[in-house]
Amino acid sequence: MNENRRQILEMLVQGKITADEAERLISAVEKADAPVAGDGEARAKPKYLRVVVESEDERLGGGPSKVNIRVPMRLLRAGVKLASLIPVQAREHVNRELRKSGVEIDLTQIKPENLEELVDHLNDLTVDVDDRNGKVRVFCE
Amino acid sequence: MIPMMATFRWRQGRDRNRSFWIPLFLVWLILLPVTLVILPFFAAACLVGGIDPFRAIGTFAEIFGSLKGTRIEIDDPHEGFEIILR
Repeated sequence: MNENRRQILEMLVQGKITADEAERLISAVEKADAPVAGDGEARAKPKYLRVVVESEDERLGGGPSKVNIRVPMRLLRAGVKLASLIPVQAREHVNRELRKSGVEIDLTQIKPENLEELVDHLNDLTVDVDDRNGKVRVFCE
Repeated sequence: MIPMMATFRWRQGRDRNRSFWIPLFLVWLILLPVTLVILPFFAAACLVGGIDPFRAIGTFAEIFGSLKGTRIEIDDPHEGFEIILR
């Protein structure tokens, strides 16, 4: 159940608002939620992660170099699941080595759901680097 | 869906692009018996390493099935290379 709707119903039960007021509040909350849901559905989920690098390296001579990589998002999600295969003993060993190097990351706390969420939010990622030597673009399409 | 075709293109210097394609579905058919033979050893290695073999096989199968649509293109003035998995 929607959190806002639950709060409204609790207020109704506690007698803080009348039934009519509760109905108006619920309608208002539903109207406020509807455009957000519409936006999410209208924006198609990206299918690929693209990395495009264009470099003007004078040492190579003759023209720009280009790297164009397209990776399906499904591959990223599947690849993220590899992290869950790492045995616990290996993760602890890696944690110890990371701590020795001054990196305070605990791999045992990283869950596949967190990584899935990270991949889902890649949809909004755009990296655009442009300087005189070349361009780097990372984006989802 | 697993990729069924791979296209390779390459260019050396200013020569024109050369390309060829590989019908991957035939490659998978040929590799299937090899995979079935290797599978028990893979499962044993997973158990020795403390990894759930069923999850490992499932994860690799999922990775394999997600390769379709991958494209890598590297191009510079001296040579170029492209691979597309369809």
